[in-house]
Amino acid sequence: MGNNQDSSIIYLRGLHKCYWVGTMPFPALHGLDLDIAPGEFAVVAGRSGSGKSTLLNIVGALESADSGRVEVLGQDILGMNSEQRTRFRLHNIGFVFQAYNLIRVFTARENVAYVCQLQGKSRKESMEIANHWLHEVEIGHLGYRRPDQLSGGQQQRVAVARALASNPKLILADEPTANLDSMTGRHLIRLMHELNHRFGTTFLISSHDPDVKQAAGRLIKLADGQIVESWEEVPEPPQSLSASCPANHLPLGERVRNYIKTRKQSRARKRRGGNQRRS
Amino acid sequence: MDSSEGLSPITYLHLASRNLVRNRRRTLITLLTMIFGIATLTLLSALNDGWLSQMKTNFILSYTGHLQIHATGFEASQNLSDRIQEPEEVSKLMQSYPEIVGWTQRIRTSGLASVGGSSAGVQVMATDPEQETWVTSMDQRVTSGTWLRPGISHDLILGYTVAQNLGAELGDRVILMVQRLNGEMVSDVFFLRGILETGAPQIDRSLALVSLNSAQQWLQMGDSVTDIVIRADIHEHTDDLYRLFTQQLSEHKYEIMPWQELDPMVRQWLEFSDAYGFVILLVVIILVIIEILNTMLIALHERQKELGVIVAIGTTRIRIFLMLLLEAVMLIFIGAILGYLAGSLLVYSLADTGINLTRFANAFEFFYMDPVIHPQLTQDSAVKILSATLIAALLAGLYPAWRATHLSLSQALRIQ
Ligand SMILES: Nc1ncnc2c1ncn2[C@@H]1O[C@H](COP(=O)(O)OP(=O)(O)OP(=O)(O)O)[C@@H](O)[C@H]1O
Ligand SMILES: [Mg+2]
Repeated sequence: MGNNQDSSIIYLRGLHKCYWVGTMPFPALHGLDLDIAPGEFAVVAGRSGSGKSTLLNIVGALESADSGRVEVLGQDILGMNSEQRTRFRLHNIGFVFQAYNLIRVFTARENVAYVCQLQGKSRKESMEIANHWLHEVEIGHLGYRRPDQLSGGQQQRVAVARALASNPKLILADEPTANLDSMTGRHLIRLMHELNHRFGTTFLISSHDPDVKQAAGRLIKLADGQIVESWEEVPEPPQSLSASCPANHLPLGERVRNYIKTRKQSRARKRRGGNQRRS
Repeated sequence: MDSSEGLSPITYLHLASRNLVRNRRRTLITLLTMIFGIATLTLLSALNDGWLSQMKTNFILSYTGHLQIHATGFEASQNLSDRIQEPEEVSKLMQSYPEIVGWTQRIRTSGLASVGGSSAGVQVMATDPEQETWVTSMDQRVTSGTWLRPGISHDLILGYTVAQNLGAELGDRVILMVQRLNGEMVSDVFFLRGILETGAPQIDRSLALVSLNSAQQWLQMGDSVTDIVIRADIHEHTDDLYRLFTQQLSEHKYEIMPWQELDPMVRQWLEFSDAYGFVILLVVIILVIIEILNTMLIALHERQKELGVIVAIGTTRIRIFLMLLLEAVMLIFIGAILGYLAGSLLVYSLADTGINLTRFANAFEFFYMDPVIHPQLTQDSAVKILSATLIAALLAGLYPAWRATHLSLSQALRIQ
C-alpha cells in the first residue's frame, strides 16, 4: 500500500472485470491502475465498449470487480456487502447518468429532495435543500415540474442538483451529455466545472464528447479495458467565478445552512410586512 | 438499518399512487378486470347464501324445526321405549327463552296404513294441532282437505305420495296399525281429513299425521312423547339455544339435536354449497393474482432503468421491495373495494325480485328449493371475499417486489 492511497480519493490497482453471458466471456477491464486526487475534474474517454461505464460503476460501488484493489475515499468497497455499498453510495457519491435519471412521477424538487430524505432529513428540510441546489444549477424556478415537462438539458441539471444535494465528496457522471445537443451539453459541462471549482467536489465523467474532453482537468483514455493515455492539466480556477462568489470558500454544509437561513429570514420579513399592512 | 435514515410513509404513498395514476390506462384496465371478477364473486356468493338460507328455512319450516329434544338414543333406535317420560321437565324451560317463537310435542313411530285392499308402510307422527302451527308450516302445505282439528280424535292427514299409492281420497276410512310400548300390535280407524305436500319426497312418501292426544291414548303412553320440537326466531339463534338446553338438561336423559343433524342429506348439501363457494372464490382469486402479477411485472420491466437509478443513488433493497409491494396492495385494495361495492349494488338490485329459475324448476324442486332465488349479502361472505383478495394482493405483489430487489444494476443502468 503506497502513500498515494492516503492522498487519493480514488485508488485503483490491477482492476479486472469480465462479464459472462452464459459461457461467453466479455472482458471489460484488464489490470487497470488509476489514482484520482480530491478536487479533480477527470474525464474518461474511449470508444464504445472500452469499459468506461464499467469503470465508473465499479468506482461507484454499483458493480463488483473480479480482482484488484478498489479504494474510494479510503474505503475498500470490494469488501462491502450490498447493504454497506448502498449506504456508502448514499453518503459519499453523487450519480449522473446518460438519461432517464429521474423518478418520473416526482417533481424536480421532489427528485432532489428524495436523496436528502433517504439520508434521514425531514421532508421540509429536504425540500429546502432541494430548492437551494436547483437554484445553484440555475433552474430554481422549475422545481414544480415533473421530468416529462423539462427539456433534456434541464433534466440533466436536476440530476446534477440531486447528485450534489447529498453532499458527496465524489460525483460520477456516465456520459451526461450524450443525449443533449452540443450547445446544451457544453452548458452542462461548464456548470459542472464551475461546481467543481466552487465546492471542490471531485468529478469523474465518462464521455466521448470533444467538448467534455476539452473541459477536462485530466483526460484518461481507455481502450480495451486499459488506460492508454492520461494527461493532466494544472487546474486554474476561473477568475471571474471565484472573484464574484466570496462565499465559495465556506464548506458546503455551511453554505446550505446559510442559504436556508436567509430564505427563512426573507420569508419572515415578508410575513411581518404583511401583518403591518393589515393592522 | 439505521433508524435515523428513512423515507416517510407519505413518500412511499406518493410514489405508489402517482405511479398508478401515471399508467392510467393500464391501472384502469386492471381495476376493471378486478372489479368485474370481485363483483361476480360477490353476486355468486350472495346467490349461494340466498339459496342456502331459503333452503334452510324451507327445510326447518317443513318438518324439523330448529332444534329437537329426544330421550337419549331415540334418534338412533326410533323405538318408543326411548321416550321422554316427563315432558314437563323440558316444557317448563320454554317460557324463559325469548328466542323461542314456538314449540310442540310429537310422537313418532312407524306403522302400516291400509285403505280397501292396499296398504303401505308409514311414519306415524302425532302432534298438537295448534302448537304445530307455531313451529312448522305443515298446516299451510295441506293441498287438499283441512288441517287437523283440535280436540277431534280420529283425524288423519297423509303425505301426497302415500295417499296416491293407497288410492285414498278425502273422507276415506284409513286403518293404521302400530306397535304399542309393550309390543302388542293395535289398529284403529282414522278418517282422511287432508293431504299434505311438502315437496320433500321422504316426507310426502311416508307421513301419516294424527293428533297427539288421540295417539297418546291409543298407544297408552300417558303424557310421554318422543320429540319436543322448537322453532327459534332466526336461524342464527339455533346454536345459542342448543347451548342453553345442553346446559340445562341432563345428557343422560336427553339428546338435543340442531336441524343440521336431523337430516344427513341437508348436511351434505350445506357442505357441497360451501365447497362450491370455495371453488368460485379460488377461481376468482387466481384470476386476480394473475392479473396483478401481469400488471406489476410489466410495470417492473418498464421501470427497470428508473429502479436501477433509485437503487444507485442509495435506496436500500428493502425499500424498493416495500415500494413495489405497496403499489400492488393499493391497486388490489381499490379494486377489491370497488368490486365489492359493484357486487353489492347488483345484489341489492336483484334482492327483491330475485332470479327466477322456474324454467329449470324441475331440477330444483326435489330439495326444499324455491324456483326464485333472492341473493343475500352476509357479513361472512364479505369478510371472506375481502380478506381473500387482500391475501391475493400480498401474494401477487410479493413476487414482482422480490424480483425488483434482485435487479441487475449493471444491466438496468446500461438501458438507454
Ligand atoms: N451486462 C453486461 N453483460 C455482458 N457484457 C457487458 C455487460 N455490460 C458491459 N458489457 C461489455 O463490457 C464491455 C465494456 O462495456 P462498457 O459498458 O463499460 O463500455 P463503455 O465504454 O461504457 O461503452 P459505451 O460508450 O457504449 O457506453 C463491452 O464489451 C460490453 O459489451
Ligand atoms: Mg457506457
